Amino acid sequence: MRDVAGDPAALEQLRVQRGRLADRMRAPWWYLTGIAIMYALVFAFPFASRFLGASILPFFVAALVVAVPLQWGWTRVTGMKMGFRSLSYPGPGRPARYAMVVVCLAAMGTEHFLIDRGLPAAAIVVAVLAVAAEVAAQQTLLRAIRQDLRAGGGPV
Amino acid sequence: MTAKAKPDALIHPITRLSICGLLAAGADWVEFAALRDAAGISDSVLSKQSRVLEDAGYVEVRKGAVGRRPRTWFRLTAEGRQAVEGHLAWLTQLEGVVSASTRDVQQARPLPGDRDQPRRVLPPLLGSA
Repeated sequence: MRDVAGDPAALEQLRVQRGRLADRMRAPWWYLTGIAIMYALVFAFPFASRFLGASILPFFVAALVVAVPLQWGWTRVTGMKMGFRSLSYPGPGRPARYAMVVVCLAAMGTEHFLIDRGLPAAAIVVAVLAVAAEVAAQQTLLRAIRQDLRAGGGPV
Repeated sequence: MTAKAKPDALIHPITRLSICGLLAAGADWVEFAALRDAAGISDSVLSKQSRVLEDAGYVEVRKGAVGRRPRTWFRLTAEGRQAVEGHLAWLTQLEGVVSASTRDVQQARPLPGDRDQPRRVLPPLLGSA
């Protein structure tokens, strides 16, 4: 077996290998579509609540029904389980995590506000923009995870 | 990296360094095929070296199946992570010494025809300690 003691390129080789591993974290079209569907379900809740009198439970279950197979497929494709990273995790993806939570809460609140004032069309626009923002934040998060993998600075 | 720079003989061979370095990159668990492809090694080499690392307590192996296909997942143990971080820190130091030495040699390179210029001696590598 080749030894690394006399090989100053060993670290460089490891960087290349980590780059290859990080490249597996590029989201395919179906993953981003699934994320968009999941958030569409979340942001449809204020409408269903107001016009159909629906409770939050069916929406929560529906979002889970989308999220669980999506995560399973994602893990299978990437060959990596990243584990849970809370908002306090100090990686480069932290702003994206905060953005996802803030956009979600702000969009839901705004939708309720607009629907209550008889502006459902404006609420639909807000929901669509919020879905787009969540997908963009997810892509930013994945980019940050790729950076993390390249630098070898992840948690665990 | 905050780990104490310390060489580890078990991780020293380049294949094991690749496996451990990839497992330390940030993923919780890494699947066999992903690790093999990223490291650019064969199935048999990965199986053999991962067994060595598992026996040493550096790597945890979890076997499962998707349908009929077996799936093997790897992750570093706490002991393995500590050893890898120490070894990578040591290698980083080594890399710094080597690049500084290279710079010295380039600066000390005599001009053509200038044979009287004194030669510089490379500092000893950390690995020789």
